[in-house]
Amino acid sequence: MSDSHGHHHPRPASAVELRARALEALLAERGLVSTDAIDAVVELYENDVGPQNGAKVVAHAWLDDAYRERLETDATPAIAELGFGGAEGDNMIVVANSPTVHNMVVCTLCSCYPWPVLGLPPTWYKSPPYRARAVSEPRAVLREFGLELGDDVEIRVWDSSAEIRYLVLPMRPAGTDGWSEDELAAIVTRDSMIGTALPSVRGPAIR
Amino acid sequence: MDGVHDIGGMHGFGRVVETGGELAYHERWEPRVFAIQMLVGLQRLGAGPGGRPTREEMEPAAYLAASYYERWLYSAEQRLLRKGTIAPGDVEAMMERLESGEAMPGHQDAAMAERMLENLGTRIPMDPAPAEARFGPGQRVRVKRMHARGHTRCPRYARGAVGVVEAVRGTDRLPDRAVYGEKVDAEAVYSVAFSSEELWGSSDEPAWVVSLDLWDSYLEAA
Repeated sequence: MSDSHGHHHPRPASAVELRARALEALLAERGLVSTDAIDAVVELYENDVGPQNGAKVVAHAWLDDAYRERLETDATPAIAELGFGGAEGDNMIVVANSPTVHNMVVCTLCSCYPWPVLGLPPTWYKSPPYRARAVSEPRAVLREFGLELGDDVEIRVWDSSAEIRYLVLPMRPAGTDGWSEDELAAIVTRDSMIGTALPSVRGPAIR
Repeated sequence: MDGVHDIGGMHGFGRVVETGGELAYHERWEPRVFAIQMLVGLQRLGAGPGGRPTREEMEPAAYLAASYYERWLYSAEQRLLRKGTIAPGDVEAMMERLESGEAMPGHQDAAMAERMLENLGTRIPMDPAPAEARFGPGQRVRVKRMHARGHTRCPRYARGAVGVVEAVRGTDRLPDRAVYGEKVDAEAVYSVAFSSEELWGSSDEPAWVVSLDLWDSYLEAA
């Protein structure tokens, strides 16, 4: 993307950036919204709330059958056991992949996403191509992510346009026997919890 | 409303996986606009039906041309204008001041930051499923034909389709009316599963299932 270099390279402000700064300036000057409150929200989702939280939930479920059962039965309190919860995680459902079922999550009407366990959504999740196609040609979408599933695997697409938020519980990959919870969490990628990828023991997590 | 945001199944948007798409945002103003929208809500500085329905009111061509956080900027500004917190022309006047080199004003309020974080960490779960919901798991339901002028959570692609209730998820007020401040009774919300054949007809992909969470008002017995 042309604007993908972010703030590290000085360049003229776009019209929309100037407008965004002006709105912040206006609200700050009038004492209506504080700069430190804005900073706090930005830092919260950059540092504390992100897919590392969901990865802990998944890894814990892989190692603890009783926890996994609680997670699949009543996800919101089970996720809260690990200290995660809040806005956009009010009503969580965990959908578990199996050898015969693969789950993937989309929000066709908006871009609803379980913030407490996955943070803020990636750009592709919020963009028209994914929102349009995930429900109507899921395998073509998964192929773009490099994921080819056998015809014997049923794909279940969860359109989370209402108030429920979904987290995919991927299958634990082979070759991870004896791994610690931290080692397992490290291979649980964000996309594997949206359902557009699988955790892999090959190489480091890239997404 | 049957706006351009109701995008499920539309053709022509191209590839999902593009360079840079894995990032949540690309520029510093984007998460700040996200935060401002949250703070407009917390501090009750806005009016109208909330951020999401307000973004849906964007003119279709503008909606599609805008980046994600541009839409959030639009909704934050609109909500502030509707409440009278800011007046038409205020943003433009500040844009001129900043362009002329004026320093960005700041305002510190640690208590506001604390309240915001507490709010973002608070869960507001739906009420539990009603004891006597109209439909139960395994029952066939049809999504009503409808053409709502305002906000709705019933996507176009599901209307008229027959699905099977999988679960009663809880009880919630119908957003179609609640977001406009109407007093409405809570009703059952169901998870309904639809076959790909029912939604899209034949496909060269093996059959799949699409599940949607739908309010009782959207459904009739099938």
